[in-house]
Amino acid sequence: MQFHLEEELNQLKLKALSMAANTEQIIRKSIRAYEKRDEFLAEQVIDSDAEINKQEVEIDEMSLRLLALEGPVASDLRFILGTTRISVDLERIADEAVNMAERSMLLSSRPVLPFREEVVDMAEKALAMFKEAVRAYASGDAELALSVCKMDSDVDMLNHKNVRNIIEHMIKETPAIERSVHTIILVRRIERIADLATNIAESVVFMVRGVNIKHQSFFDTRN
Amino acid sequence: MTTHQTSATHETHMIQDIKISSQHLDFYYSDFHALHDITMDFYVNQATALIGPSGCGKSTFLRCINRMNDLIPGTRVEGALVLDGSNIYDPGVDVVELRRSVGMVFQKPNPFPKTIFENVAYGLRVNGVTDKEYIAERVEESLKLSALWTEVKDRLHQSALGLSGGQQQRLCIARALAVEPEVLLMDEPASALDPIATQKIEELIHELKKQFTIVIVTHSMQQAARVSDRTAFFYMGKLIEVGQTDKVFTRPEQKQTEDYITGRFG
Repeated sequence: MQFHLEEELNQLKLKALSMAANTEQIIRKSIRAYEKRDEFLAEQVIDSDAEINKQEVEIDEMSLRLLALEGPVASDLRFILGTTRISVDLERIADEAVNMAERSMLLSSRPVLPFREEVVDMAEKALAMFKEAVRAYASGDAELALSVCKMDSDVDMLNHKNVRNIIEHMIKETPAIERSVHTIILVRRIERIADLATNIAESVVFMVRGVNIKHQSFFDTRN
Repeated sequence: MTTHQTSATHETHMIQDIKISSQHLDFYYSDFHALHDITMDFYVNQATALIGPSGCGKSTFLRCINRMNDLIPGTRVEGALVLDGSNIYDPGVDVVELRRSVGMVFQKPNPFPKTIFENVAYGLRVNGVTDKEYIAERVEESLKLSALWTEVKDRLHQSALGLSGGQQQRLCIARALAVEPEVLLMDEPASALDPIATQKIEELIHELKKQFTIVIVTHSMQQAARVSDRTAFFYMGKLIEVGQTDKVFTRPEQKQTEDYITGRFG
């Protein structure tokens, strides 16, 4: 027999996974919009943000109701708290994807800058992190979540490399300054998506194991 | 500084904080082995909640702490229950004196058919106290401690049976406090009360633990979470887990504890 709270928690999880699926699609489209200089796709990204915002509010409402009415404890409490945190991260990721799409629209009508492939490669790595973080949430796999946290340094490295290359290009090609600045901002948005995917993975570790691995260096020094 | 580790968890406490220490305690109702090897400590100025399904042994264990089980024929205790460094099951222990220092409040309020004043004064009188002024002081102080004074100060000499259920329970707490105990045992003290009266008892527990060591048996998970500093989970006469309440209710170590507190038991 499945008991009432378990059914409610499953509903909450399904809602979060649906929001994650929409978020994944929005990231994917924003990468393609940049890569293919596709303004139509970029507009689609901007339009889909409203649905994700709505889902975040729904998850907030479901979580609040469960906390108020069910008095959850232990793993149930951690699951609700973790899912609420994840929904906030998903909403922020969608905002970052929208920001990428806006930059892509500005860039699509201007001459192509070099390093586009490198930027796309970095974005694909951030997307892969996001997908693995969501998979860890879906399966409650703390080991997989920890492996996502380790992937973040690769994206950080690509971020530094791309920004450095674009700045060097900007110094040499002054007419490309505006395009370069937009591209640097776009690269920063990709780096933030990877950071937020790491946050999701950290929430999964909290939900499964009950330990907070956020800001580990702070806790290391405190203990 | 000396430290002591409990066996059921890896918590570390200062040894001087321990008020009661149950050491490999076994309890039998004739042939029925009701408690198995219970080892845990209770700390000064802390409330410890005992939780578990019906028949798990939590109330039996509570009654071991002031030897209330002695009143049941055929019962037997093995191991030790140490209060302030002395085993309360040692031969020669004055059980009346033990029950004065380890007071008890029961599930249903059980005031005597006497006045409010006489209910609270009862323990003092049976202990031979005759000083009227002292008795009046203790009655007032106990009623203030149990947060009942302002409600009854103008009708101290009316029958206690005219009080509401919640007031009667606080009167029983005042009666237990009048003889100046150090430990207060509470066996589901709010289970027969409405939510407002329950809230008052819970607030009272928060206040009382500043002066006393409290052990409370409760079937309400939320009550255990709200009022206790430490929680012990019992199942089939065994202590499964004991630890800080916030940890037990957010990250229990044992699966049986997790299943019980999340309602997935059985």
